[in-house]
Amino acid sequence: MDLSPVSHESMRLPAPLRLLLGSFIVAFLLNLLPWSGIALQICPDFVLLILLYWAIQEPRSVGQGLGFLLGLLMDVADSALLGQHALIYVVTIFIVQMLRVRVLQQSLPAQALHLGAILLLAQLIGVSLNLSMGRELPGLWMVIAPIAGAILWPAISLFLALPRLRLAARQIIG
Amino acid sequence: MSAYQENFFTRGPSPLARLTFFSLVAIAIMIADHRFQALAFVRLGVSVVLTPIEQTLMLPGRLTQRMAMYFSDQDRLITENAALNAQVMALSAGHQQALLIRAERGYLESLGEASKRFGDRGTIAEIIRDARNPFVRKIIIDKGSSHGLRPGLAVIDGAGVVGQLTAVGVLTSEVTLSTEKDQSVPVMAPRNGMRAIAVGNGRDGTIDIPFIPVGADIQVGDALVTSGIDGTYPAGLLVAQITAIDRNPTFQFARISAKPASGTSQQRFVKVLTQEELKDYPRPDVKSEEARPGRDRAAPKRREVR
Repeated sequence: MDLSPVSHESMRLPAPLRLLLGSFIVAFLLNLLPWSGIALQICPDFVLLILLYWAIQEPRSVGQGLGFLLGLLMDVADSALLGQHALIYVVTIFIVQMLRVRVLQQSLPAQALHLGAILLLAQLIGVSLNLSMGRELPGLWMVIAPIAGAILWPAISLFLALPRLRLAARQIIG
Repeated sequence: MSAYQENFFTRGPSPLARLTFFSLVAIAIMIADHRFQALAFVRLGVSVVLTPIEQTLMLPGRLTQRMAMYFSDQDRLITENAALNAQVMALSAGHQQALLIRAERGYLESLGEASKRFGDRGTIAEIIRDARNPFVRKIIIDKGSSHGLRPGLAVIDGAGVVGQLTAVGVLTSEVTLSTEKDQSVPVMAPRNGMRAIAVGNGRDGTIDIPFIPVGADIQVGDALVTSGIDGTYPAGLLVAQITAIDRNPTFQFARISAKPASGTSQQRFVKVLTQEELKDYPRPDVKSEEARPGRDRAAPKRREVR
């Protein structure tokens, strides 16, 4: 039984910068793909997913500041109201920062459930901001986007944890 | 908040302080963008960087489209060609008449020193994609300020008015469709010359015509063309056709919906009308109203009366 006050998780090496940057670039490119119609409403916000992943795993390097900047970038790319994505990203990263210890202790499916709820909240903020500007609800398909994000979460976590797992395995073997 | 004690050596503001700060900044930016349209230069700057990336991402899709078009069956091309030829024949008669009418109009305009309201020149642009935002009715075209475009120009297609340029980047621009919420076009019905405003309601395929009295002479099937009185849209472009009129006498105005003439979902090319700006057109003169001292005092009174 582990009685040490410091959890093993905090002793971990930081994730390589290449992985961080690479994942953000890939997520951004995925968001920039010419989605339209129902696919646009269903597809999750990949940048938000990656932001939340790193806000949980690397809270020292990825926080609300980065979320704010990436949000502004997404606002311009999506021709949305400037500041809308920024607000959504900052709020969700805050929630994740509050919950990260709890989330890290869960299994991947349970993590996905947590993330689903947070993504649903992000979607709600976006919808309510747009409704407050007098716009119409585009459709009920929008509920599916957070679910899609939650389904993708285990895959993203496993994929981004691969380099770390490989390193750990090498240390055990060597 | 006491649950957050895990980062023992963290320096700097707490997460809650950061949240408050960033949220306030985000809300301030939203207000600046929505109310005052003050941040166009930020959009322009970022879009200059984003456009090449987006173009590269579009490349695979475009290549496959090209290939598919290259191998498309001859039959379809032949029938399409025949249909287009027929259309050209049908239009040419109208065009020749239009030439005559235009010449006569030019003469009349030179007599009366009327301003030119008809747009003849334009730039053909290709639709790149829809805006990636399910809440807005916007499309992105492949021409920008480097092709002489500027915000406010009217955009049409073969069938009628598509919308208006709202954000112009260096290489691409954003067209707000006339179906976008609160996007309005001044129109008139050629049948009886009645003027109205066509206002988008944020849904595809319908436009509202508000502020028409219940007893007004308007029928289902009436065409609505731009009236040209706003100085933005040249006169005479087809905007919509009236599909439903609800004359409920309990309301002051009839509820009228119309079907927009252009369908951007089927089109690939649009035309941006680059007419000269009407300098002598009377514009709302804000400064002179501010200068008048009586105005400010009169405004609250008027509100009380209501």
